[in-house]
Amino acid sequence: MDKVCNTFQVSVENVTPSLPCTNECTLLESLESHKLEVHSHCREGFCGACRTKLISGTVDYVTDPLAYIDDDEILPCCCIPTSNLVIKPG
Amino acid sequence: MKYTTFNQQVSNPLTEPMFFGNPVNVARYDQQKHSIFEKLIEKQISFFWRPEEVDVSKDRVDFQKLTDPEKHIFISNLKYQTLLDSVQGRSPNIAFLPIVSLPELETWIETWSFFETIHSRSYTHILRNLFSDPSDVFEDIVLNEEIKLRASDISRYYDDLIFATQLWQTQGEGRHHVDGQDYLINQRELKKKLYLCMNSVNALEAIRFYVSFACTFAFAEREMMEGNSKIIRLIARDENLHLTSTQHILNLWAKGKDDPEMQEVAEECHDQARDIFIKAVEQEKKWASYLFQHGSMIGLNKDILCQYVEFIATHRMSAIGMESPFEVTTNPLPWMNNYLNSDNVQVAPQESEISSYLVGQIDSEVNADDFGDFDL
Repeated sequence: MDKVCNTFQVSVENVTPSLPCTNECTLLESLESHKLEVHSHCREGFCGACRTKLISGTVDYVTDPLAYIDDDEILPCCCIPTSNLVIKPG
Repeated sequence: MKYTTFNQQVSNPLTEPMFFGNPVNVARYDQQKHSIFEKLIEKQISFFWRPEEVDVSKDRVDFQKLTDPEKHIFISNLKYQTLLDSVQGRSPNIAFLPIVSLPELETWIETWSFFETIHSRSYTHILRNLFSDPSDVFEDIVLNEEIKLRASDISRYYDDLIFATQLWQTQGEGRHHVDGQDYLINQRELKKKLYLCMNSVNALEAIRFYVSFACTFAFAEREMMEGNSKIIRLIARDENLHLTSTQHILNLWAKGKDDPEMQEVAEECHDQARDIFIKAVEQEKKWASYLFQHGSMIGLNKDILCQYVEFIATHRMSAIGMESPFEVTTNPLPWMNNYLNSDNVQVAPQESEISSYLVGQIDSEVNADDFGDFDL
């Protein structure tokens, strides 16, 4: 099945209300393209530097995350949004 | 309990705790209690590299051009990194293998230690290239007071656990009198020692390496000592993975997803564990003062480095559910992220000496439109 290109609204709590982010690049790349500074190291899901709280919404992982994340946390460096999101960087 | 290299008692590794259950017998990975360790093994092996693949010959010329304070910074850092990896190349094996109970975790510990030995070999590779006889540098590691101070704190928790495990394995639980000292050995005490040791290792991988990494990459920012920086980048990538593993172990315990008694121990020893972390931060800041005692280097000084240690500590502490006492919220060394990005790590030997080749490059992207007015 071909992947459908979708754009979702991502809001960063206490920072910015709503940014358009596509599912064509990782959430981290989208946030960076909006000039948002997100702490990141490996960008491959194994270091956990970009650990972010997911307040609402859903994401899919393009790479299996190896770093430890809690049930309510995501790794923006290796996931794409699958709905509108509210997040809070750690 | 006596250690046995092949435990003939039938046990189910899916119900064993990570440590202090039955010794592992069959090294099987078809079923896993904590599959994350198998994934870490695969990732780590995919990172395999050899120091000899990285050409460090240009560093010798760069090194001669460094000022004396810069030479002090560079060499002291290498000494400290050599110490850290000397400890890490053997200690996880000696401390954790006798008490581990899951095959996937046992193999992860061995894989982890093996990579630390690659790091140790790479320091010799770097130093052999800089000096015709690097033995003075190596010999100073056990004489240098500043390094010794750190060495005793790093090895203390390992040594404690190792000794207690040996007593337990040879004499069992109870009170033992050895060399004029009394030791209380029971499961609870052993687990406390294990918990503190794991926290000390976590702090080592999370914090201790980063002062030296920052200095190395600060040289690379000036296009100096690039071969060395290439090697340290590979080391940093491995250390990040090792850190992930200790964070997993600590979180599995704390969240009660492994041994329920370890969850109690984690609560009981939380403050002690936090102190280990904070002490490591303080020691690293003192190390920064020692490095810069003869003068700073371009792009980096003691204050920025101390802020960076606090910044990184805050992140690392939150990853294991600890509250940070530090208030630095923005990264004082943003360029560090470029060096810690695993995409930028390349081992192709032909590229190691020209890692700055992108600097003078022009944008040569060609679109189909560019041929619009082109006729044949």
